[in-house]
Amino acid sequence: MGELGVQTRSTMDSWVCPNDRQLALRARLNAGWSVHTSEMKSFNRRESLSQDEQEQIVRVMKRAELLDGAEQERIGRLVERLDNMKKNCIGNGTSQCVLCGDHFGLMSASSTHCEDCKKACCMKCTVDINPIHSPKMQRKAMVLCKICSEDRELWKRSGAWFFKGLPKYTIPKSRGDTKYTGSSAITGLGAGRSKPEVLRRAGKPVQQRQYNTWSRANKNNYGDSSDSNSSSEEESEDDDDISIGRSKHNVTSLDSEVDSMSVNSANNNLYCAASQSSITGAAQLSATESSRGSLHGDSDSEISTQGFSRNSSLRSQNPAHSRTNTGDDIDSAFNQYGVNEDTPPSSPDSDSGSSLGTLEFSILYDAVNNALKINIARGRGLKAMDSNGLSDPYVKVHLLPGASKANKRRTKTIPKTLSPEWNETLVYHGITEDDMSRKALRLAVLDEDAFGSDFIGETQVQLKKLKAQQTKSFNVFLEKQSPMERDDDLISHERGKILIALKYSTHKQALHVSIIRCAELASMDSNGYSDPYVKVYLKPDKDKKSKHKTAVKKKTLNPEFNEEFVYEIKHNELAKKTLEVTVWDHDLGKANDYIGGLLLGIQSKGKCLKHWFEALKYPDKEHQKWHNLTLDQPRIDH
Amino acid sequence: MAKTYDYLFKLLLIGDSGVGKTCVLFRFSEDAFNSTFISTIGIDFKIRTIELEGKKIKLQIWDTAGQERFRTITTAYYRGAMGIMLVYDITNDKSFENIKNWIRNIEEHASSDVEKMILGNKCDMNDRRQVSKDKGEQLAISFGVKFMETSAKASINVEEAFLTLARDIKAKMDRKLDATGQNNKNQGQQLKKSDGKKRSGWKCQIL
Repeated sequence: MGELGVQTRSTMDSWVCPNDRQLALRARLNAGWSVHTSEMKSFNRRESLSQDEQEQIVRVMKRAELLDGAEQERIGRLVERLDNMKKNCIGNGTSQCVLCGDHFGLMSASSTHCEDCKKACCMKCTVDINPIHSPKMQRKAMVLCKICSEDRELWKRSGAWFFKGLPKYTIPKSRGDTKYTGSSAITGLGAGRSKPEVLRRAGKPVQQRQYNTWSRANKNNYGDSSDSNSSSEEESEDDDDISIGRSKHNVTSLDSEVDSMSVNSANNNLYCAASQSSITGAAQLSATESSRGSLHGDSDSEISTQGFSRNSSLRSQNPAHSRTNTGDDIDSAFNQYGVNEDTPPSSPDSDSGSSLGTLEFSILYDAVNNALKINIARGRGLKAMDSNGLSDPYVKVHLLPGASKANKRRTKTIPKTLSPEWNETLVYHGITEDDMSRKALRLAVLDEDAFGSDFIGETQVQLKKLKAQQTKSFNVFLEKQSPMERDDDLISHERGKILIALKYSTHKQALHVSIIRCAELASMDSNGYSDPYVKVYLKPDKDKKSKHKTAVKKKTLNPEFNEEFVYEIKHNELAKKTLEVTVWDHDLGKANDYIGGLLLGIQSKGKCLKHWFEALKYPDKEHQKWHNLTLDQPRIDH
Repeated sequence: MAKTYDYLFKLLLIGDSGVGKTCVLFRFSEDAFNSTFISTIGIDFKIRTIELEGKKIKLQIWDTAGQERFRTITTAYYRGAMGIMLVYDITNDKSFENIKNWIRNIEEHASSDVEKMILGNKCDMNDRRQVSKDKGEQLAISFGVKFMETSAKASINVEEAFLTLARDIKAKMDRKLDATGQNNKNQGQQLKKSDGKKRSGWKCQIL
């Protein structure tokens, strides 16, 4: 009922001076300058609601509450992720990349500045926020560091963009340090329960935190101040905060969410048992508390006195307990027991498996940019490999089939721990739908030693299980090395891939060729890597003026070049030309090795022809495409 | 994982009693129709996840009772809504006239950023029409909101209406957040771009 409602209730028959907004509105609606509130129908509560009706409403609210609880945890996870990212920043943002701490310099990473925080970061740690078709160089100006882009995404996903501040959320606590808060919360309530299971359940989930501003940087307001904060929050909490006094209806399924809910229904019942007694406590407490001025606090409304009341007062005393009655916290429940619904096959032999430890990670396939992003979150209870009873774990990721250096990614090593927090995102570029349908990902956890490393355990994920644009989270037990080890035969003929952008600018009468990056290049040097660079040649060309090459990227099989070459040429002449793109391995003192290449022109075939054709047909637009490099084809007459 | 959606949008349906809010929602969420009139008690909601521009959007759509006596409860839900559907019945002139009052209600209780849309429901019953489509459009234009005639019974425009509203909300969201990063820097950079490029193009000639 908003502000007006509160005013009128205290001075029931008096005239109310409307506020500015209302005045402005009424002027527009020709409704006069003030109203006698008793004449406004909406303020008359002549007809009270029947018992049945109240119960019906309470049921709906209960359902909404379940949903909001799930939503709060979802936001909580997003916030936690962002916080973790922030914690992992090691650079200073000026001479180093703010995220990964790489030093900038001539020979090393080039720096760019984040659009939001204005700090320096390297290309690896930034996200392009330009529309895809914008030209290459401008791209440099419009990047966000991964943190700021994640921050923006959080504002979108949480609804903060609308409510002008992050809504309430709950951070699922990691196991281990929860027990204390949990039990103390319950004794604090005076609701003695002996079942240890219930105890654990009720104590488990949460911690209430809030940020209200965009620039909340590193402030962590743990729950304690939640009361004052939340009063400034949006009305949306109306359906969040209501605890049900006497309703016994235990809604276990939400429409179209049945799949998730039913999985957990057994847990849910247990859960409700725990929360019910706490609710009684809440109801008693809040009976004496005057709640904030909204509908539900309205003490002469029949519903609120009998049916439900805000438990904010309870919560402020007892933040750790506050969200126990939300239901549907499957994720944290599963986390707690170290089992993931997605990977039941790994749990059955958990006797042997658990001794190796668990790995938490999430995978996202970005079909638009052909990128496969693997976020390695953390490991838990890893097997100790070193004599000090600890390990120095890192995660190695391989794309199968074809395990090679080119498709290997690894995280940093976290020294001396059995519960490492990596929170690193590893990216594979140039992954096509076809790759997704037939390839698998192997994640191996290893212990780094001074010489070599020890294998701890591994897990595999079939990529075809993933859906594009959907982040899928895993929490799995590690297994012993799988029997079917490596099948390197496939890689031998694969030379790698290259991402090229073509654009013909009619205005400048020039062809822009951008060499963006290569992926999974064949390794040419004895160290297992190559020092690749790319040559671009527009043929036929007598005086070889059109020959360009990129900088050499040292010791990498997945180089990022981001270089653009411009050929001033008339559109009709261009049709007769062929663009030769070759990738080379730079060697000091001996002839450079040829890695692979391709031809873009009217004589080329398939994808190459299509790319060339589109670039000519639709000028002034950037056309990006991945191409496979081949060993023989482009090595034609010079 | 069931909860894989990108955004959660909260929508609200309001309008006089009997205009078909519940039916519209029933059509959208279950693709079904029930002709018996059961007055909504207070509030209810349904959920449906849709996909827009590659993003999964979960819509939580609140259905409200049109009856006066529930007004206290229903208005409490205005503030949390990102989008509001105002529904009237084309065979009932009074429900159309009341749209003005509902708009006023929104302006008093809902967030000022809320996206609105007017629906003229029951458009399958042309023979009993009291409100012309023109009148509906005029009204919508005067309030600067979108308008559609729908029929929950014949399944006309219901899907479209919700998708339109969701799209508008998403567009507003994208605009809001992406605008914060856009500034005039863009242009200065573009100038630099062209001469920097030339050089990189010619530098390689030496080789």
